[in-house]
Amino acid sequence: MTEIIVVTSGKGGVGKTTTSASLSCGLARRGKKVAVIDFDIGLRNLDLIMGCERRVVYDFVNVIQGDCTLKQALIKDKRIETLYVLAASQTRDKDALSSEGVRRVLDELTTEGFDYVICDSPAGIEKGAHLAMYFADRAVVVVNPEVSSVRDSDRILGLLASKTQRAEQGNGGVKEHLLLTRYSPRRVATGEMMSVNDVKEILGLDVIGVVPESTDVLSASNAGVPVILNEESDASRAYDDAVARLLGESLPLRFVDEPKKGFFARMFGG
Amino acid sequence: MSRGGSKRNGIDPADDFRLSQCKLTVHFAVSPRQSRRRWDSWRKFFQHNSKMMKQPADPPHESAIDIRFGQVGLVQVRIRTTDPGVILDELTGRIATAPRFFERTAVCLDLSGLDKSPDVAEVRGVIDAVRRAGMLSIGLTTGSLGVEELSGALQIPVLSHFRAQNHQPVPVVQAAPAPQESAGAPALMHQQTVRSGQRIYARNRDLVVTATVSAGAEVMADGCVHIYGALRGRAMAGAREDVTARVFCQEFHAELVSIAGVFRVFETIPPELAGKPVQAWLDGDKLNFGRIGS
Repeated sequence: MTEIIVVTSGKGGVGKTTTSASLSCGLARRGKKVAVIDFDIGLRNLDLIMGCERRVVYDFVNVIQGDCTLKQALIKDKRIETLYVLAASQTRDKDALSSEGVRRVLDELTTEGFDYVICDSPAGIEKGAHLAMYFADRAVVVVNPEVSSVRDSDRILGLLASKTQRAEQGNGGVKEHLLLTRYSPRRVATGEMMSVNDVKEILGLDVIGVVPESTDVLSASNAGVPVILNEESDASRAYDDAVARLLGESLPLRFVDEPKKGFFARMFGG
Repeated sequence: MSRGGSKRNGIDPADDFRLSQCKLTVHFAVSPRQSRRRWDSWRKFFQHNSKMMKQPADPPHESAIDIRFGQVGLVQVRIRTTDPGVILDELTGRIATAPRFFERTAVCLDLSGLDKSPDVAEVRGVIDAVRRAGMLSIGLTTGSLGVEELSGALQIPVLSHFRAQNHQPVPVVQAAPAPQESAGAPALMHQQTVRSGQRIYARNRDLVVTATVSAGAEVMADGCVHIYGALRGRAMAGAREDVTARVFCQEFHAELVSIAGVFRVFETIPPELAGKPVQAWLDGDKLNFGRIGS
């Protein structure tokens, strides 16, 4: 049974693509067969984060328009056996996507035996974002702990509850998860940033992961290696926890409190 | 109904001024359906007459006058005082924002906002004040006490399809089934969070939301609005001007609350009510907020 997970947020720049890359790597690393699709037609990014930009020959729009087969367009990841990337088109615009075409691609991935399809949604609430979420079974709503991101996420949650296939068919709706990124416990402690509980309360949803603000994220993106693969990083551990929770494990949240400084750190100002 | 948050400043003539709260209300009211009905009956009357007139020999000369009927939009001025000075001041202030729009505009006076029925001299003073402000009173609204006598004494018509405030409105579109029946209709029940950008409207009945209303969301009912969660967005009760409608919520953080078109925004809502169980009700044209259960 293929599960379609949309990674969305409404607001741009909150970490959707980073999250899509890391979640898909994390799931694939646990033996699942995963395809990750970039729905941001015209602003192709996922291939860069995944480090496969040199290997894009055919893209999502080519498949939809029948220029190539799905197999030709799926890029096999070099690090993880069971991970495939379907890149967005950089030269087309979002009107090139059609509901029928997206359905056909997702159906084909289902028959190919994929366990998970991760749809990396573009920002905004227009066609690309709409199609990315329309066929989803679950949604990971990426939110930064600040008011505009929270407001936009709320809007997206409203759309997930009304403008998706599951909502229209009335079979339970899309299962929604919240993922906080760029979280800084220090700034929460000083009151500059909203806390996990604030966000949880406003959006009324449970949190599937809290990814701390980390310089590793940027360097991972630049290197084309999803940050989850950098084992040293807190962000990597946080994403791995989120993957575990997606798969049904229950783990306590990490990285939500300011780390206590040890004796030496206090002595030497570390 | 809740267009434009402007108080006294920056009045857009297209706005419904009744939304603001001050001593005097300017209200536009045209009831297209009613006017059409009246027009139809007049037209029949005229067609009938003209047939009758054609029967005798052709009239040798044209008549001195033609009588034609037309429709006009009328500005309704509701007064809460008969003090001409106050009225002149306030009207002048309001008109200053759109002088051309109100210049020699025909207005209809609504006396229902007064505590007691005014005498002829008082109304004459009011009419004079309105005239000095640049507008011309051409009628009185029906429905308030003693208006017929005033009409006779002042030689000014009572315009019947201008309803006085606080009376049940004539619905613009009257549905075929009896509307009274809907008063007993069960409330519209909404169990999920109302998210930013969503709107819920309970027509002809109450609305019950058993979850949170997020910032940027809008819940609306012709009856009361009950929210058993936090209210962070907008809530509007009495959407068809039922002034007895109320808004109730479990945790109050509203952006805007409105009852029968009278609204208050977050900034004018007492801060000590934030996060508390609160109800809002209308007292005259004042929107009040109070804790439930204290």
